[in-house]
Amino acid sequence: MKQEISGDLANTRCPEIIKIISLGKRTGRLYLTNGAETGNIFFSEGEVIHAQCAALTGIKAIHEIAVWTSGEYRFFVDEPADMQTIIMGIDEVLSETTSHLRQMDKITSLIPSSAAVYALEPDIREKEIQVKSIQWKVISTIDGKNSIADIAQTIGLGVSDTMKIIYTLLRMGLLRDAAQHETHVERRSIRLPETEFVQSLKNALIQAVGPIAPFMLVDTAEELATDLLTDSTDQKAYLIETLSSKIPNEKMSLKFLDAMTDWLKAEV
Amino acid sequence: MKGTIKDLLQIPGVQGYVIAQGKNIQIKLPAKHAFALAKDSLMLLYNGLADDGKRPGNTVEILLEDILLTAFLSGSTMFMVVSSLRVNQALLRMTGKLIISNMVKE
Repeated sequence: MKQEISGDLANTRCPEIIKIISLGKRTGRLYLTNGAETGNIFFSEGEVIHAQCAALTGIKAIHEIAVWTSGEYRFFVDEPADMQTIIMGIDEVLSETTSHLRQMDKITSLIPSSAAVYALEPDIREKEIQVKSIQWKVISTIDGKNSIADIAQTIGLGVSDTMKIIYTLLRMGLLRDAAQHETHVERRSIRLPETEFVQSLKNALIQAVGPIAPFMLVDTAEELATDLLTDSTDQKAYLIETLSSKIPNEKMSLKFLDAMTDWLKAEV
Repeated sequence: MKGTIKDLLQIPGVQGYVIAQGKNIQIKLPAKHAFALAKDSLMLLYNGLADDGKRPGNTVEILLEDILLTAFLSGSTMFMVVSSLRVNQALLRMTGKLIISNMVKE
């Protein structure tokens, strides 16, 4: 089993990998994982012929995988598919996936991630509402504790499709963010370690994003399972890079990178 | 901005770099390096990656057995770093992002 291409999904997302493999007219299996889930996309001479992710197959599986922004991928040369679930050409696959990603970008502007938790909104604006059966299925699992990923698993839908339904329900005013109030109260008491690294990081981040910097710092360290007191330069660099990618203003993001790169270089 | 090629070359594990823009390509690698004479292949790779309309990100990493290629793209410019696998990848990406941003500004 020869492994030819591999990398990190944080830097190269699924459509780009598909494009690279397709350009090389390769045959084999592209394995992807976001840590919690895995997926496989099979190629035959550069054409995508089969994809699978959890219970999903075909283009739906590619859509599910395409939204992953962290995890890793590996391409295994000459591992053939045992079935064909995709009969469209590579251009159509890429164009459909790109359009799906655009739709998901809109959705993620309201729903931050599949870990988000929602509760039913007790004060509905409308006198009368109509929901589709699939929307009702989702509503019936919402209890202020289950995350979107949990709901998707319970009802056997893809995470992307579940996010789309929840997005519609939020727009209809039927759901509210379950964690909003609790998070607000908890975050008042954040205390950061007073090391030189953390203080430099906090100061540079405050310049880029303002007073939310300490919260962003703690959240990101938690997401990456990084101890802020770490001595590892690799972990510090990864933390800085991830924080910079979260700064919405590109100029400020580069300024932050610039300041922290200097700091890191002194350590390497 | 202080991100310069000199800074990049000081990162342990970085072997050299490639700059491609339009039909021009500049390869700065040790003469005996496997990629030092691979101008055509690198140009093909550049042409494949430079189509920014269809790409969601602007950093592409390609792992080739014992070499890591990290390409930073902005418009029609590609700045690609050739390194070993033991490089501090996050630091490399941070410096690369600063360099491509400076290059495009110039």
